[in-house]
Amino acid sequence: MLLGLYLPRLLPDMSVAIVEAVYPVVGDTLAAGAKILDLSVDLGSGFRQDCPPISHYRLVAREAVRLRSIHVSPGEACAPGFLMAAFGDDADPDEIARALRFATAGIVSHPGMWSARVRA
Amino acid sequence: MNWLSEDGRPCRPGEIIAYCNLAVQGDTRGSVFAKEAVLQVAFASPAGGRLHRRPGLSGGGFLDVIGAADWRDDETIGEIEADSDADDAGGDMPLLMLAGQRMGWAVDVDTGLLPGWHLAARAWWEHGDGHRRTLLNLGVCDAAGPIRGDDSGFVELFQGATFPAHVTDLTDHPAAPCAPVLLDGHGRSRTAFEALALDLQRALADFPEPPTAADWMFAGALLAQLAESPLTRTFDILTRNGLARSEPPRAILLSSCAEPRTIRRHRKLGYRLHIMRHDLDAAGPAIRAWLASAFDAVPRTLDDIAADYRRLIDTAPMQTGTRFLILNRMSTSGREDIASYTAFDEPMGAILANIAAKEINLMLHDLAREKKVAVVDVDAMAAEIGGAAHLPDGVHQSGALQDLVRGEILDILASVGPAGDLRSVG
Repeated sequence: MLLGLYLPRLLPDMSVAIVEAVYPVVGDTLAAGAKILDLSVDLGSGFRQDCPPISHYRLVAREAVRLRSIHVSPGEACAPGFLMAAFGDDADPDEIARALRFATAGIVSHPGMWSARVRA
Repeated sequence: MNWLSEDGRPCRPGEIIAYCNLAVQGDTRGSVFAKEAVLQVAFASPAGGRLHRRPGLSGGGFLDVIGAADWRDDETIGEIEADSDADDAGGDMPLLMLAGQRMGWAVDVDTGLLPGWHLAARAWWEHGDGHRRTLLNLGVCDAAGPIRGDDSGFVELFQGATFPAHVTDLTDHPAAPCAPVLLDGHGRSRTAFEALALDLQRALADFPEPPTAADWMFAGALLAQLAESPLTRTFDILTRNGLARSEPPRAILLSSCAEPRTIRRHRKLGYRLHIMRHDLDAAGPAIRAWLASAFDAVPRTLDDIAADYRRLIDTAPMQTGTRFLILNRMSTSGREDIASYTAFDEPMGAILANIAAKEINLMLHDLAREKKVAVVDVDAMAAEIGGAAHLPDGVHQSGALQDLVRGEILDILASVGPAGDLRSVG
């Protein structure tokens, strides 16, 4: 059974999220609690501000799964609802059967994030 | 006269209805407000009622900028047809005085209350009871809204205060005012500042390409910020009674959001600098290269942050008797759905934003017990009215939350005695 990870609407007013880090690679088996992606949301992305309201989030798997495909990479902007990754075995049908169960956590920005690396 | 209220329109007591620019003439010209290009007076309605503007005071357009007349205390600028239920329609018109030290000579517009980018923006007023409270705002965005208000002219603070006050707001661009930066600035000698400036000059000169305009503007703003410690700075004050000099601030407002977990420390000169990422984005390539090569990134633990706060608090009052107000952090989020924390490595405060915020908030409470610091509990106020709607990113507040935070700041200020002693509230 193929499970999809869709970008959740992390904040009501968000238009896109930036992928800051992708932790597993295709073929990795993730335990429940494994980190999948870090994201940032800039609520001021609509126009330039002198202090943009940016917050950071981590998506964590809540079930054991195998990463079959990843559709995003660090630095990429995604809209809510975008299919970011699919989880399952290669033999599973290509159709997404249901959404992956995951948890969302607000996190502190860190040097491994895409936005930190491009500023270094 | 620049009218802010239409003729014939109802106005509330304390509503700012007009403002004009001021210039000091005579023997003192050039020696007072020497660094402040902007000096304004805003007029507040002394009572609720209907405004009738005196015709002929405003020429409109540039005439309202360059037009000049001598100040006369008995001059009538208009009349308020007081509401029939107004308790007290008499008395002097409350004045909101404003002054600003521009960051550059042309980075401004000639309209509105203290528009543009100022190194220091100030407001003071004489109405209300008791001694004059003095507040220095060294916070970041979570403090700017409550202090400067929606129109950037301190209007809401002025309207909410029941006492005379002098409030100074320092820019947080490009160097963010965290405790170590303030501490280093407080102890910096003129010789040390000149060494700092020379180092920056050499970095720009040695960069393999010509510095860009963004490099020069960043460098100029940074030098303006670092040239003088704000903690003990005093300013000219103009009131109906004439000129006076402000005392050093008796209360200083800080943002715990401004305290980074990693700070830059200059490799040779040792001073510390915190540049937030949006300010780093505004720098040119030469400045970014200088920040990357001339500074080490030094991690700070929670204990380090607490120790820097203690040093700052212990240092400043010895000279000024200052009390500190610190805005804490929002530490919960309705957007999180963490079912188990076993997925997150220790120390979780280094990863999870809300745990980091709770740790900072607990540290502030310890500090408040130890040092009589007043914690402005943004965390509780936001949770009370709903963080998702009123503090969506954890820092930038809605108008309703700004009102609550402003009210809390005013309550604390009301309890600060003339010598900076905190009196019991309520």
